[in-house]
Amino acid sequence: MKKNTVRFYVTITIVKIATKILKLLGRNATHLPGWMANKLCPDFLGHLEKPERLVYITGTNGKTTVSNLTAEVLKDNGYDYINNASGSNVSEGVVSALLSKSSFFGKSRCKLAVLEVDERYSPLIYPYMPPDYLLCTNLFRDSYKRNAHTEFISGVLNSQIPKHTKLILNGEDLISNHLAMENERRYFGINCPDGHSSSDNIIKDIVACPNCGALLKYDYIRYNHIGRAHCPNCDFGSPELDYSVEKIDYENQRCLIKMPGGTCEFKLIGSNVTDIYNMLAAIALLSELGLEVSQIQKSFEIIKVVESRYYSENVHGKELVISLAKGQNPIACSRICDFIRHETGTKAVVCMMDDCYDAKESSENIAWIFDIDFEFLNDASVKQIVLTGVRNADYHLRLLMAGIPEEKIVLCDKEEDAASYVDYAAVDKIYILHDIYSVQYENAKKVYQDLKNRLEERGEEA
Amino acid sequence: MKIEVLFPEYCNLFADSSNMKYLKQCLPEAEFIYTDYMSEPAFARESVDLIYMGAMTERVQAMVIKKLMPYRERIVELIKKDTPFLITSNALEIFGRWIENEDGTKVKALGIFDFYAKRNMMNRFNGLVRGHFGDIPILGFKTQFSMAYSDHFKYSFIQVDKGAGMNPSVEVEGIHVHQFYGTYLVGPFLVLNPLFTKHLMKVMGVENPKLAFEPVIMEAYERRMKEFMDPKVKF
Repeated sequence: MKKNTVRFYVTITIVKIATKILKLLGRNATHLPGWMANKLCPDFLGHLEKPERLVYITGTNGKTTVSNLTAEVLKDNGYDYINNASGSNVSEGVVSALLSKSSFFGKSRCKLAVLEVDERYSPLIYPYMPPDYLLCTNLFRDSYKRNAHTEFISGVLNSQIPKHTKLILNGEDLISNHLAMENERRYFGINCPDGHSSSDNIIKDIVACPNCGALLKYDYIRYNHIGRAHCPNCDFGSPELDYSVEKIDYENQRCLIKMPGGTCEFKLIGSNVTDIYNMLAAIALLSELGLEVSQIQKSFEIIKVVESRYYSENVHGKELVISLAKGQNPIACSRICDFIRHETGTKAVVCMMDDCYDAKESSENIAWIFDIDFEFLNDASVKQIVLTGVRNADYHLRLLMAGIPEEKIVLCDKEEDAASYVDYAAVDKIYILHDIYSVQYENAKKVYQDLKNRLEERGEEA
Repeated sequence: MKIEVLFPEYCNLFADSSNMKYLKQCLPEAEFIYTDYMSEPAFARESVDLIYMGAMTERVQAMVIKKLMPYRERIVELIKKDTPFLITSNALEIFGRWIENEDGTKVKALGIFDFYAKRNMMNRFNGLVRGHFGDIPILGFKTQFSMAYSDHFKYSFIQVDKGAGMNPSVEVEGIHVHQFYGTYLVGPFLVLNPLFTKHLMKVMGVENPKLAFEPVIMEAYERRMKEFMDPKVKF
């Protein structure tokens, strides 16, 4: 913690007043206070007192879910902690969260902070607030414009992770589990068949040994490069797991997890393999933070994934699903396509995936859609795909390249009109896939509501 | 017809692998040879109708230069013999003189063309490009850590109408010598530029080139062209 300056005190006064005003206006104040603080005092974060235990959750996919799950369990067990679940995961969000529980003198009012941190922002945060624990869910190819590739992101993280930080890493991701090799670490992973493995993905971010260049030998692949592998020429390979899922029972929504203290049963939070990784990551972290297994088990019986990411409902015998498909992130979207193909019944899919942010005042770089595994939707159970938005001609081409028959594809230029194009009578399940931005989420909710109304009207007529 | 794809396990960033996926759908009868890093390139022992290489990481650039250096003279010979090459994104830098890091250190490249690249790893450049190759309009996206410099870009591929060229101060993009086509544009390039794809198939010796899913790719292309012509669109 730096010695506080007049500039810091002036900044904290202005920002605390601004936060009060924002709250009076009914705003969340989860980003703007941090933005103001950074503008007025560029090393503001360095003046705030570090909570006794500082935990960061990072990684390409799953960090928001893991952060939310961790926070929910802590809350359920009566912990007082700082969290940015309702705010942003960049520098401004972290500052806003810490500031919300700091005194006028920058003293922390909480002993524990669990913060989701975007991996690209680590150079702006770690030097001022070095983490005691760092959980990295995984590292994949993400936004080409922002994150470039996994070697670049690993390099950024490696240059920022302090020596004392304890790492909690995905033992089945050979990229993230080789971060900061000298640090103390724990590995989590799945040690049994998950029922949904797919080795036919377009993207594999690690195929050769980074030490000697030999092609890696995979014992198995769960998806993309997630799995167990070793180099035939040197000692590079997957580590032994400290926290491992040993058995999955989708029917009863339970799983068995081997932990340092023994094997315990937990309730699943979902039926996707990524749900299992996310809950396992949170359980490993909570256990490392000192929570008793019984405390974690009890909380997992009641917590749910945040609705803005995934929500489903049965309406007169049809399942209506709204799911996040993160724009510019081909892995996250491929996971959804894989999930859909493995679900039972016949399906219609509404794609509302134009990246409004990237397209703002410009034209969206659509390279990423050619890395999405749309081939997974080339399945007899998928009866219809409705493509919405200004980029629907690009998606149309991409689906044809994936071998999807022309007759299954429907084009709809306006996102909000999509419901009228869905042949809901012909399918058991309807999936609405949307990007992360609020405008699109609102459109997706509108399409969801339209479809729900149509299904209810149809149900009443029947 | 033989098409060699160099090191696809590494050189596939930014969806560049879709260039060959699309070409394969345009040329279903063609033989695609996917040469992995540990193997000898097919072009070293036989003639091929196209050599393709796409985007890679900075570490892999050094590996690829090391791998291709023994074949430098063969590559020059093939270029002079009008063998078509399509080289996209930072794969183009492999054929320049050197790649310079921020600390001034240099990675010596094949030195076939007279330009060098300079990296700036903390400032990634992203942008749109609109230009033309002869009478073929070209559209594309740039996403890169480096820029290319030369006293003269004598053999440029694309005349840039809007957006950045080899670096933001020049209006030419890529390298075109004989039938070597190299560009920093990603997108994937062939999918975004169906008219150029037809041209490429012609230079490869396809008599009556046909685009896969022609009405759909042209619709996507025309929509994008309209956007790229809009003066309000930021490049």
